[in-house]
Amino acid sequence: MQYFSENELVVPGQILSDNPRQSGFGTYVREGKVYASVMGFAKSINGVLRIIPVSGRYRPQRGDKVLGIVSDVKPNAVEVDIGGETTAVIKPHERETTPLKIDIGDCVLAEVKATGLKGIVLATEGLQKIPSGILISVNAAKVPRIIGRKGSMLQVLRRETGCDFWVGRNGLIVVNGPDPAHEFAAVAAVNMIEREAHTSGLTERVIQMLRKMLGRGDEDSSN
Amino acid sequence: MKIRLIDENGLRVDGRRPDEMRRMRMEVGVLEKTDGSAYVELGGTRIYAGVIGPREVHPKHLELPDKGVINCRYHMASFSVDERKPLGMTRREIELSKVIREALETVVFLEEFPRMMIDIFVEVIQADGGTRTAGITAASLALADAGIPMADMIAAIAVGKVDGVLVLDINEEEDKYGEADMPVAIAPHLNSIVLLQLNGRMTPEEVDKGLEMAQKAVKKIHQMQIEALKRKYRVEPEGLET
Repeated sequence: MQYFSENELVVPGQILSDNPRQSGFGTYVREGKVYASVMGFAKSINGVLRIIPVSGRYRPQRGDKVLGIVSDVKPNAVEVDIGGETTAVIKPHERETTPLKIDIGDCVLAEVKATGLKGIVLATEGLQKIPSGILISVNAAKVPRIIGRKGSMLQVLRRETGCDFWVGRNGLIVVNGPDPAHEFAAVAAVNMIEREAHTSGLTERVIQMLRKMLGRGDEDSSN
Repeated sequence: MKIRLIDENGLRVDGRRPDEMRRMRMEVGVLEKTDGSAYVELGGTRIYAGVIGPREVHPKHLELPDKGVINCRYHMASFSVDERKPLGMTRREIELSKVIREALETVVFLEEFPRMMIDIFVEVIQADGGTRTAGITAASLALADAGIPMADMIAAIAVGKVDGVLVLDINEEEDKYGEADMPVAIAPHLNSIVLLQLNGRMTPEEVDKGLEMAQKAVKKIHQMQIEALKRKYRVEPEGLET
């Protein structure tokens, strides 16, 4: 039996279900029952109970795409600073003929391959080096809102600002646009989404703000 | 001269009934630069709690390979008490830092943060009795606000004995001139006591009765904690990527 309604805001210790097999992210099992361990919105997805946290630092999970800055290149590992004072490593394959062409200070987007006692390991497959742009840091708990349902919010941002976005699940975002005015508008939009992440009708307000900002930006340049 | 703490009507120095709590107010997310924060007001007691982390352990030698560590600092402002509190950590503050840390360690899932540290700061701005219990209540709220996984929240209250009567939530005068002070912290869902201290003398029956009173009050405080948390985040989560 479920003790919560879909999308209910739950608090740590709140009972969620009688079925221990439903325990997912943000929940724990005690005496055969599932309880919430973080504050957030409870959801039941394919029979698994998950909590989408409303706050907190980023906790890396396997499969997450994260964005980071290369902080050190060692003979057998590349260290990447992924924000929140955490460091991840990229380990190139042993018999790699072409070493990863990344240097200290580069910005990379990569998938988390493993987490655990040995630290966070990023995958070399699908590793992207980001050429240039503005780096923004937001609360990792707000990233799902910036992406939007099935990427809807990102689509809006891309369409309205004409900028490219690289979004890391850890809360780091790179914006690269045609000119500074559009880039600044994009940054303002992202900050607005972060600030008002939990309000409704946000997409509409973001569009309005961007149109107003970019409209005014054009006027300024004509002076 | 003997100070009377209970008058002929059975009321206390501030006019409360023996089982009555002082007015309590809570707010969550009050500090910008922390990951989670809370403000708790209990009568004249005012406390801010802030949580930073999980982050890398500093100093490094405290690091544990299999679980996280909690670093807790209970600190009173110099102006929080009648007579200026000296600068630096006093013996009392060091003890309270430890008991608050130990109470919170019982509920936080530290094994999820190997080689990490969670910093908890409890700052007493104004003290009027019950700072350690209000501090725990605030710290637990701040932890929840910081999104740190924990088994349960903690709510705390003190029970005291003044003029031979058991009273709930003692204030400064009752603490100074009363017979006993018993702070209790409870994890309500786990139904376990995570902090129990006793200063003064109480009979076993009185302790039992006091615990019962504390338990009742803790339920109320816990309800207020939940409301404070929900007040900050209560909004429709439409359009979330799942």
